[in-house]
Amino acid sequence: MYGEAANKLVQNAKRIQSLPHLPPYASDLSRTIIREVRDLDRDVSSILAPFGSSFNPSADPSTACALLVNHLCMRRNKRCLLAYHKVRASKLEAYCWEGVDVLEQHNSKEGEGGLAGKKDESSLSPEEEEYVRQYSDLLAAYKGQWTDVDLTGSLEPPRDLFIDVRVLKDAGEIQTEYGSITLTKNSQFYVRHGDVERLIAQGYLQRLS
Amino acid sequence: MDIDDLLAEVAVDSVPRELRDLQELTRCWVAERVAPEILPWPSELMDRVLDRIRRQIELVEDQTGDMNPKTNFKLIIIQTELERFKFLVRSFLRARLNKIDQHPLHIQSLHDASLDMLQPLLSHSEYQYLTSHQSLLAAHYSTSFLGQFPASLQRLDDITGGISMIDKPDEDKAVFVRVLRDIGDIAVEGTDRRFNMKRGDVWVVRWSAVKKWAIGTGTGDLELI
Repeated sequence: MYGEAANKLVQNAKRIQSLPHLPPYASDLSRTIIREVRDLDRDVSSILAPFGSSFNPSADPSTACALLVNHLCMRRNKRCLLAYHKVRASKLEAYCWEGVDVLEQHNSKEGEGGLAGKKDESSLSPEEEEYVRQYSDLLAAYKGQWTDVDLTGSLEPPRDLFIDVRVLKDAGEIQTEYGSITLTKNSQFYVRHGDVERLIAQGYLQRLS
Repeated sequence: MDIDDLLAEVAVDSVPRELRDLQELTRCWVAERVAPEILPWPSELMDRVLDRIRRQIELVEDQTGDMNPKTNFKLIIIQTELERFKFLVRSFLRARLNKIDQHPLHIQSLHDASLDMLQPLLSHSEYQYLTSHQSLLAAHYSTSFLGQFPASLQRLDDITGGISMIDKPDEDKAVFVRVLRDIGDIAVEGTDRRFNMKRGDVWVVRWSAVKKWAIGTGTGDLELI
């Protein structure tokens, strides 16, 4: 009662900020907190019920105090829940920007988990999956207005137009302005940075400096 | 007006528009990355820059395939330049988006207030992004937990109860500024510090104290560095 579960939740959120991956959604914890808020709200209305609409805090300080504590707890719980969801949502947005497909990743994990039993459940809540889907749509729409600039491109200042890359995984054939190149594993190329930026981000190529 | 100002004016006119735009864009980019608040959207500058980027891309596309070493070399220079421009624009836009994501409600109200002014705070597409992102987040919160809350606690922009839910950037953050024109005495609010700002000076000072002289938000007498 009174914010104990919410405390755990914010600690959880704090931890998420420094983790490289997203831990499973704390559905039990947030359910507990929601229940707590509803209980508190019911408390408040049952305390207030006998007074009707004419409650005077200065006439009855002890009741007023109880009400205040309940109210503050509800607000605190709400803040904690908001913070937790915001942290997770920001993390998911960052994945969208980096071009990591969170949903895909989770699906492929499920495929592997099929052999080892059902221990690998999605680390996203259904609502979060929906959010990711909609956010990537939004991002794509916004990016579409800046096709010339490629918003998700590298945020490092460009130095050279052409770079050396080594192919880590077969990536098939790509089209460049200077003709097409077939990227086979372990080969090395001298290519235009802009053409292969995406492939480097996806881990197909490695940049040699 | 003394001889320095006259010289400065002549100098500005002799610099081609393209170069001045590049300087202006670089300045906007630095300022946007340093200032704690989001700065007004430089719509004319961005239109010109984007238009030029588009033309250069077309030029490059037209001339590739030409195996003449001379044009080839020229193309490489153009493309390098193009990449740099694209980086500036990209980094600039991302810095703005980052601020929009951090303080959405605050920026939204500022933007609404700035609509009648000459330069709105956000570009049209940025505003669209802000509103749709906010509605996405709100929907996400309400399906995740807020929907099951008592009705009085469901708002996201509640300012009652002592704590405002609308987060604001820290306007008292210290910034580095270079003074472009003499400003005179400046008093920092909340402290008893007073000092004189002269052209060419570099200061570390609270953003809120110098905001009304900065480029973009004020008279343009000093720039952020």
